[in-house]
Amino acid sequence: MSKEAILNKLSDAVVGGKVDLAKEGAKEALAAKIDALDAINNGLVKGMSIIGDKYAARQVFLPQVLMSAHTMYAGLDLLLPAIPKSAMASMKKAATAVVEGDVHDIGKNIVKTMLTAGGFDVTDLGKDVPISTIVSETKAKKWDALALSTLMTPTMDGMKAAVDGLIENGYRKNVKVCIGGAPTSPAFAKEIGADHRDANAQDCAAWLKEVF
Amino acid sequence: MAEMSHIERVMAAITNAKGDRLSTYPIACGVNRNLVNGGITYRDWAHNSKLFAQAFIEGQKAYGFDYAIGLMDLSVMAGDLGAGVRMDEQNTPFVDKPVVKSVEDYEKFKVPDIKKGRSGVILEGTKLFCDVLKTQVITAGFLEGPLLALTQVAGAERVFMDMFTNPSAVHKALAVMTAYDVEMVKGFAKTGCAGLCWDYLWGNYSCLGDKEYDEFEGQKKYAGDLNELTTKEGMAFCIHNCADLPHLDTQIKAFKPVIYSMAYYPLIPGSPSAKETIEQGYADNCLVGGQIDPQLFIRGSVEKITQVTKDLCHEVKTALCKRGLGSRYIIASGCEVPPDVHTKKENIKAVVDATKKYGVVDW
Repeated sequence: MSKEAILNKLSDAVVGGKVDLAKEGAKEALAAKIDALDAINNGLVKGMSIIGDKYAARQVFLPQVLMSAHTMYAGLDLLLPAIPKSAMASMKKAATAVVEGDVHDIGKNIVKTMLTAGGFDVTDLGKDVPISTIVSETKAKKWDALALSTLMTPTMDGMKAAVDGLIENGYRKNVKVCIGGAPTSPAFAKEIGADHRDANAQDCAAWLKEVF
Repeated sequence: MAEMSHIERVMAAITNAKGDRLSTYPIACGVNRNLVNGGITYRDWAHNSKLFAQAFIEGQKAYGFDYAIGLMDLSVMAGDLGAGVRMDEQNTPFVDKPVVKSVEDYEKFKVPDIKKGRSGVILEGTKLFCDVLKTQVITAGFLEGPLLALTQVAGAERVFMDMFTNPSAVHKALAVMTAYDVEMVKGFAKTGCAGLCWDYLWGNYSCLGDKEYDEFEGQKKYAGDLNELTTKEGMAFCIHNCADLPHLDTQIKAFKPVIYSMAYYPLIPGSPSAKETIEQGYADNCLVGGQIDPQLFIRGSVEKITQVTKDLCHEVKTALCKRGLGSRYIIASGCEVPPDVHTKKENIKAVVDATKKYGVVDW
């Protein structure tokens, strides 16, 4: 199978949410000695970008996006270990988290997917993450971007605590902090000293790509 | 025009008769626990039918709403179905341990005894506040729709993906959720509430397209059957929309609710404003309500929220006038008033006061 056919297979697998096809395509890419980063960017990520555009245009909806994200990660699991460490080192590092007291993580997971598709090396801290963990890990792992989410009002203050914590530990100037989730707003982002607030995952990833 | 009673005002809005002013209901539910016994925890409020009811009664005394709608939270059914619910002292409870781990688990659901658990608390509590308030205001129970209940108990991400990979399993579980809802509808019918407000959480284009929404909640079964049952049981059928980009053609034009409350999401392009909702005909046969930013109740000043309410009254009155609809809009929060200890009581009162002042309709 040609390189182009394998890349198309990876892209089509993501668009169609076909996990087995993505795994198959990833194995074929490695066997054909296609550069893993090339396979990711021009195969899996290309497919995720197509789905992202279709979601923005309301041609597909959340279930399809989640299936595509699941498929992309299945392919990434096989391709990422084949990327040379030197190539990984040049990628911007981002982290995602739902702040302490909240477990609603669909939005955060889509941000994680879009950041990965956008070329970031993403660490997902998960949901209900203690603020102290967010603050200390951001500095320790030298993340360039931090995307925080919450769907609930009482836990919004955790976002402020995270920003304050980063100021206190001296790392704030090194990291871009984005927030998201239904109760948040650009005004709230400004109030707590975050850098940005977006209404959707794609715009968040696009903003961070532009910033870096 | 002479001042109407709360019930007269709402009935005028529903029937498009002459009303004295717009009606109002900042959706103040859990936040009113702060008015009970000097302030009680969310846990106590959500587990004790008398305390649950007392919050609505105290809220009515304090603010003079036109409605009382018995929202507790969105984890009531999931908890009674066996999911783990995290119940912090002063935070809205939420599911932190969904129960579906494999496709087979979808078939293990059984309708719980609605007299027990928090289903029992909400039914009994609704009866208690309706006993006191039903002659004063329009009362309603509040119930989670089948797809909402399933996504809560099984985990939303899991259900959404299984819609594609295992749709028959999802449908089997939805049938049980619907049967549970049928029991709850019959329970609410005995509480004396005038209406029943459904939360069909996923009826929005950020989450589901028309095809998926129709298949997994829509008019043909599940929601359609429950809406019909609600009316048959003698309650006005209402919907609380929880999200941006709502399926208004399905939820208002096809479902035909008596009352429909809109969420506040101004940042999403395509979500209609109050004015646009009216202009597009959705208030022609339905009493629509919304869309004050819920965050203003915590972070806004009295002056700010008064101005927002004044502007909203002006916006909707102008739009209603153009369509010959008089007072057919509820000045309400676009989602529950945050049940947070920091929510400002004076801001709730400010919305009611501003509606009284700026919501007067000239006939």
